[in-house]
Amino acid sequence: MKRAVALVVPAAIISGILLFYFLFDARKTTWLPQCPFHLLTGFYCPGCGSQRALSSILHGEFLQALRFNVLLIASLPLLMYSATVMIVNKTTGNHIVQKFFYSASFGRIVLIVILAFWFLRNLPFFPFTSLSPNDH
Amino acid sequence: MDFINQQTTPQPVPKNWLVESILATIFCCLPFGIAGIVFAVQVNKLYEAGDYEGARQASDNAGKWTKVSFWVSVGGIVLCILFVTLFGGMAVLNSFRN
Repeated sequence: MKRAVALVVPAAIISGILLFYFLFDARKTTWLPQCPFHLLTGFYCPGCGSQRALSSILHGEFLQALRFNVLLIASLPLLMYSATVMIVNKTTGNHIVQKFFYSASFGRIVLIVILAFWFLRNLPFFPFTSLSPNDH
Repeated sequence: MDFINQQTTPQPVPKNWLVESILATIFCCLPFGIAGIVFAVQVNKLYEAGDYEGARQASDNAGKWTKVSFWVSVGGIVLCILFVTLFGGMAVLNSFRN
């Protein structure tokens, strides 16, 4: 029973979020919250464009999603791996540790990739403009 | 996928929040998630170096920043929806009056 709740509640929340971004297309609505970092500084953060990318994916436009936020698409395999291990652990009662995420070098790579993406997507010239969520 | 070897590691590794902080960084649109990732890396590094107490503290910090990032953005979205509903409702009322 407890295990079922541990699976159903997150699944319901995630489905709700996906339904929300399917119904309210972030590419068209103007009222969804803007990134506070972008609002304050005018620069893009590593998450800028993810609401629009999510709406793009949900409407089947993967190429467009890549343009809004490459990092989101790149992280999907990692997130799916993590979710799968989590679901297996919750359903079987195992405690499989995602060792992959617990190596110091992997953590460092993630950090470097995100910081590099943050810096590069703010450069105002080609080819880095293709990393920015706007200018398309 | 491996099981942590209990014989060579005297203490289980504390939760490092890496995946959660990546999620917070990408989806919550807030640099707080980056702080979460920095502490997640600390957890891994300290644990590999055998500093279990340090790893546990880094784990607490990683969790804290990930949650800050998450709740700030949830708050932002809720405020945004409230704002739209409130002012949207007022606009509808106004349109009736005119």
